[in-house]
Amino acid sequence: MTPKHYALGTREPSEIQRPESIEALAESLAACDRAGRAVVLFGGRTLQGLGHVPERYDVAIDCTRLSRVLEHDPRDLTIGLEAGCSIAALDATLAASGQFVPLDAPRAAAATIGGTLAAGWLGPRRAAYGKPRDLVIGTTVVLADGTIAKAGGMVVKNVTGYDLSKLYIGSLGTLGAIVRANFKTLPLPAARRLAVAALPEGTRARAIGRLETLGIEPVAALVVNGFAKTIDGEDGADGRLLVLFEGSERSVEAATRELRAVIGAAGVPATRLIDRETAASFARVLDAYIEPLGNRSMTYRSYGRPSDTTPRLDAFARVAHGAKLGLETIEDVRTGDVIARLSARTVADFASRAHAFDGDRRTALSGARVIVAPQALRELLDAWGAPPAALPTMRALKERFDPAGTLAPGRFVGRI
Amino acid sequence: MQTALRDALIEALGPEAVLTAPEDLAAYAFDAYTEDRLPAAAVLPENSAQVAALVRVARKFGEPLVARGAGTGLCGGAVPTSGGIVVSFARMNRILAFDATDRRALVQPGLVNLDLSKAAAAHGLFFGPDPSSQKTSTLGGNAATNAGGPHALSYGSMSAHVTAVEFVDATGEIVCARADDAGYDLTGVLVGSEGTLAILTAIEVRLLRLPRAVRVCVAAFGDIDAASACVSAIVAAGIAATALEIMDRTIVRAVEAHFHAGYPQDAGAVLLVEVAGEASDVEASERAIALLARDHGALTWRAAASERERAALWAARKGAAGALGRIAPNYYIQDATVPRSRLPEAIRRVEAIAREHDLPVGNVFHAGDGNLHPLLIFDRRERRQVDAVGAAGHDILAACIGLGGTISGEHGIGYEKRDTLPLVFSPGDIATMLRLRDVFDPAQSFNPGKIFPQGTACVEVVAPEPTFARA
Repeated sequence: MTPKHYALGTREPSEIQRPESIEALAESLAACDRAGRAVVLFGGRTLQGLGHVPERYDVAIDCTRLSRVLEHDPRDLTIGLEAGCSIAALDATLAASGQFVPLDAPRAAAATIGGTLAAGWLGPRRAAYGKPRDLVIGTTVVLADGTIAKAGGMVVKNVTGYDLSKLYIGSLGTLGAIVRANFKTLPLPAARRLAVAALPEGTRARAIGRLETLGIEPVAALVVNGFAKTIDGEDGADGRLLVLFEGSERSVEAATRELRAVIGAAGVPATRLIDRETAASFARVLDAYIEPLGNRSMTYRSYGRPSDTTPRLDAFARVAHGAKLGLETIEDVRTGDVIARLSARTVADFASRAHAFDGDRRTALSGARVIVAPQALRELLDAWGAPPAALPTMRALKERFDPAGTLAPGRFVGRI
Repeated sequence: MQTALRDALIEALGPEAVLTAPEDLAAYAFDAYTEDRLPAAAVLPENSAQVAALVRVARKFGEPLVARGAGTGLCGGAVPTSGGIVVSFARMNRILAFDATDRRALVQPGLVNLDLSKAAAAHGLFFGPDPSSQKTSTLGGNAATNAGGPHALSYGSMSAHVTAVEFVDATGEIVCARADDAGYDLTGVLVGSEGTLAILTAIEVRLLRLPRAVRVCVAAFGDIDAASACVSAIVAAGIAATALEIMDRTIVRAVEAHFHAGYPQDAGAVLLVEVAGEASDVEASERAIALLARDHGALTWRAAASERERAALWAARKGAAGALGRIAPNYYIQDATVPRSRLPEAIRRVEAIAREHDLPVGNVFHAGDGNLHPLLIFDRRERRQVDAVGAAGHDILAACIGLGGTISGEHGIGYEKRDTLPLVFSPGDIATMLRLRDVFDPAQSFNPGKIFPQGTACVEVVAPEPTFARA
């Protein structure tokens, strides 16, 4: 792989390192730190669209060779792995003993444990199973100065010392390199079913309202507008409802019956059931979160309450309309997430309109963050939205953990 | 105490909120683990602004601040080992906002844990973490220790439930942090930091929907070994139980003497099983667990027949430590976690260590999480026994670490285990943790002398004599 593969915005590294052990990574990082060389850590490069382009960038450290499973006794329902291990490899290892860790990472074959955690990725199934941060029971990180530090352990309940794993998860490689993660695992559900229903005009609000009355809660419930090629493999941008159930065969069966009755009463006609290719179908939905349309789209993510998705969707629609950009959305009924992909028909049109959109959305959607954007435009966009109230404390953390500014300087919130 | 400090506190909080008489302060010198020196003052702020003002006063006078919930902590976490000012949240105990639609509640730190679930029940909701102390312990204290409880097995500990916090930092600023904020997860590190980084003034938590069906069953086993092996097997088989709790004969007898809940008193150990969810799933899980119990030599299996019976079994389980207190002169409750397949081995080690130190031991624990709670029984008037308790406690922790475990699953490190921390973490690990404290509280004004071994701190603390829980 060439420096181009590790480009962020218009910056490319002058050197790529691919350490094969945690110790080797620690030595590399410490050497860069001493030499004043700025480092960006890489996993599967699936979520590198997050954040600002670093203000300095000399060395790419690719962690994908750190891919060993270090500890896995299926009887304990825990697993410890090197962070360069792919999500697909984690899934496969665990599936062999009937277990899983619901991380919901897009592009699971490429995405790594370390990258997914560092990016603070959150998927729809967290409503049922908790966030990745709540499934992590321990981490090992390498700090900029080469210190190898552990937090947590291999037990499922642990309050020994500060839970620094929480600090590293979501820090986008700006405090240290996550080189190992330990998870608590869950038993794989006996049955999974994805129910897909087209939402005729005017039925969305009613259907969502009815979903709340379901006795058996789905593990994910999404209203999708657009993303047809990625999710369905065909054209068309009708609104549709995707509901994922996981559990025993009896409960999934009962849940489906209930779902059909409930949304039928809301005026939603047919529900298609996907039983056999559920995993692949759901994976395509997750892929859509970060799928670009060449260089003529960008994707935002907005967090909020389930009850306030409508005003945020409306704001996206209004601002997109004003900027003459097409809009596709994923509305997560259970978590309140809104994913919005803005696009134009040509790269030139998109480039001329994207900046205006980003400017206009700063008032209406100040909390939304960019998760995917064309490299050439990244410098122009407000990657993180409005800074959080605790920004001064965050700056101080960066200063204390990475005083030389070695780890992706300027990339994080508030150009930390 | 200095008149100037007293005047400044009164100015910030009002005269009725500032206690300085020794007889008033005695109630703030101990928690359920130990008793220590009196603080210089105890204060009872009414709102976040008063807490902020208090932090500025304390900073000006160089007095440490120790936040305190209900004082039910078991590791000396709320004890003012360095004197200073104890901050009681007894007057900040309200639910500030309740949102049934989005299943969230914003609460003050002094709210009692159980009161939240009681308020939520009307909306078909409940709060997940349920430490055995939940009738008295507060959400502020629960957040500080990242408390768990029997249902941590299914719902996770506090940190998985806190979605945002408001805190007062070391400079006296009120700051809000949401888990979903862009930036570092300050909520995540503040929960479980045992009051050493900041003072929480409001906590937002998520609520869960009450399950549609719940079953509680009790299995009797010949000995604790068989019960532990059964739990390891249930976990390994991936059967979803919402709680798996073991009590040995010593505990069951103490519990029955007080609660009369119907636990079999002649068994070597009992296993309390709770399964919850859809009726058909609950039935299937119960059957699968009952079969495993039989395979592991269960002598009896009984399902609670009514809601009342179920509540009685739980009340007795959660009151176990208190019940033991009625029959034992003193006891010392230990808290450690091991990987779940190592549970039988860990229990054997605990029993052997108690024998070696010639101490009676009772076991009541969150077996499904591998979270042990041996209670060492002693008489504090006997010097030999007090020494033996300390030594046995240490040996138990070392044994659990040897099995791949750790020294606290839910109680915290506090004062009690600060010198044991280096058995789990290297100097580099601990120095990394201290970087976090340096950022939040460089002068160590919040709960000094806790979590970290002395010598890694600037303030030297005179070691208090542990008195352990009193009967």
